[in-house]
Amino acid sequence: MRQFEYEAKALFRKEGIPTPQGFVISCAEEVFSIPAKTFPKTLKTQVLSGGRGKAGGIQFANDQEDAYQKAQDIFKLPIKGELPTKILVEPKVTIKKELYVSILIDRAYRGPILMGSAEGGVEIEESGSIEIVPVPGARYSSFHARELGAKMGLQGKELIKFAGLVDKLWTVWTKNDCDLAEINPLIIDGDDNFIALDGKVTINEDAVGRQPQFAGQLAAHLSDLGEREFKGKMCGLNIVELEGNIGILCNGAGLTMATMDLVLHKGGKPSNFLDVGGGANKDHVKRALDLVSSSSDVKVLLVNILGGITACDEVAAALAYYKEIRPEAKMVVRLVGNNEEKAKEIMDKAGIPMTNILETAVEEAVSLAK
Amino acid sequence: MSVLINKDTKVIVQGITGGMGSTHARLMREYGTNIVAGVTPGKGGQDFDGIPVYDSVYEACAKHEVNCSVIFVPPYFALDAALEAINAGIPLISVITEGLPPQDAVKLHAAAAEKGTLVNGPNCPGIITPGECLIGIHPGSIYKPGRVGLISRSGTLTYEIGLGLKQADIGISTALGIGGDPIIGIDQIKSLELLEADPDTDLIILVGEIGGTAEEEAAEYIKTNVKKPVIGYIAGVTAPPGKRMGHAGAIISGNKGTAQSKREAFEAAGVKVADTPYQIIDLVKDQMAVKA
Repeated sequence: MRQFEYEAKALFRKEGIPTPQGFVISCAEEVFSIPAKTFPKTLKTQVLSGGRGKAGGIQFANDQEDAYQKAQDIFKLPIKGELPTKILVEPKVTIKKELYVSILIDRAYRGPILMGSAEGGVEIEESGSIEIVPVPGARYSSFHARELGAKMGLQGKELIKFAGLVDKLWTVWTKNDCDLAEINPLIIDGDDNFIALDGKVTINEDAVGRQPQFAGQLAAHLSDLGEREFKGKMCGLNIVELEGNIGILCNGAGLTMATMDLVLHKGGKPSNFLDVGGGANKDHVKRALDLVSSSSDVKVLLVNILGGITACDEVAAALAYYKEIRPEAKMVVRLVGNNEEKAKEIMDKAGIPMTNILETAVEEAVSLAK
Repeated sequence: MSVLINKDTKVIVQGITGGMGSTHARLMREYGTNIVAGVTPGKGGQDFDGIPVYDSVYEACAKHEVNCSVIFVPPYFALDAALEAINAGIPLISVITEGLPPQDAVKLHAAAAEKGTLVNGPNCPGIITPGECLIGIHPGSIYKPGRVGLISRSGTLTYEIGLGLKQADIGISTALGIGGDPIIGIDQIKSLELLEADPDTDLIILVGEIGGTAEEEAAEYIKTNVKKPVIGYIAGVTAPPGKRMGHAGAIISGNKGTAQSKREAFEAAGVKVADTPYQIIDLVKDQMAVKA
């Protein structure tokens, strides 16, 4: 769950990481409540998608009137299709140096790594000067941060201040079960203070349930998702949008991907990835059918269930119900495994043909979608 | 002989009184797995279908000979359960649990590495040596015993292949569901090493998917270390970048972890790559014909 910048900065401040003294506004008119003598200000659109700076989502304002115009523009400016509901207003700061620092889990190191660069501010993937210090087993100590700082070329007081800041960022990362905690740029201002000028924090989705401070926030943090993906998240269904016309409903992530690939292999185009998961019951499958078919692009539904923990008859019951309410819908069904015989009876009664051969099902779905 | 588990494996089930633990403890026992005890803290002294339940792994190990633990506890308790099994000196643990927070996974694997414990998973269907022993949630009846080793990051896709093989009258020595998380214990390389050394495995099927670089690394390993024929398959050709395809580990980051890159790595290592799950079966048949 990606946090908005203003939320990430609140998490930083809680652990003692300095940020500019900012606040959020929800409509352009709010700029008139900002004391005139506190200008100039920076206005930053609050979206989850990246690349907002280049797209014009960050503006400087010299006075209230200037801020009013620019805030109106920003509220109307979608970033990769995502409109902001808030703008973060911050004082302009003097920048002596721009650094980059982040903490994330790296698959290759099988654990967390500290990443840093003496050239912050830019897209860090483009920077050629990234330094890495792994933290094996997540057993962090300040020396890891000093090692990173030294690699970045920091010395003396700057090195010590930097390590102190990374200690705090580590606390943010562990305490909130983050996938990522990143400060870019981390600036050194005119008075030699380290300040987090931007913040990117992603809370691990599997861990949100044990982090009560984020309870109930999921819906507000999905503004970068497509419609079916948003609905899926809300009802516990794992769906990914694609651009084809064959709606896919399977169980198990690997089998779902393999089924989509098979559709492509046979000359068709999958409309989505949907894994109903293991042990799905009738109601869960009904919701999944509704969700997949809620896109007008979907011409055919391809259902592929290999029942291990999942009972085929539960799936069949959901399909029979769906056939009743949507008799015109085209469905191709492959059911095999646990309770296959019972499922066959239900399907026969409902008049829905089924096969137990995957290739046959995919070929039929592709030809129906043409 | 198969790998990791066989008819002499003595298994405890952690979380045996829970919903998933109880269901699969019964199924594993029906299949023939020797389950010597169960562990659920606070439920010690109970009896589960004749299997004694203990409060701690330590107690179960004191009263029984144990060489494997299967963990079915909920995600936020799985690290603690696994550390308990590692501490008790059990050499092989299988963590079936899906949704273990990554920061917990890091700690789990670090502790296992220090103690030399083999960890299967997390987020996996477990391991099966058909006809001898099943740990985890594989539907046992889908596989027949034989001489093909199967390694896979996915659950149901593994069953699909096991079923296809059975319908073609081809059996499995051991099927290893290694798990769909970004950080796993017994990985593709370790599985290849075990199956290469196993005198009862003639051929290896390696089923990968998008995300990470495990398949690329496995391909490098195969080049110099694996003499047995390997047949590969990669799921996720149609997966868009930046989206998690169900499994926490199945995500293309930037341009890393694509199906294309993995297929090319396999091919460069002499692995025959199937385009579809049922082509795997054809390639296995071809290979067996060559051998005969």
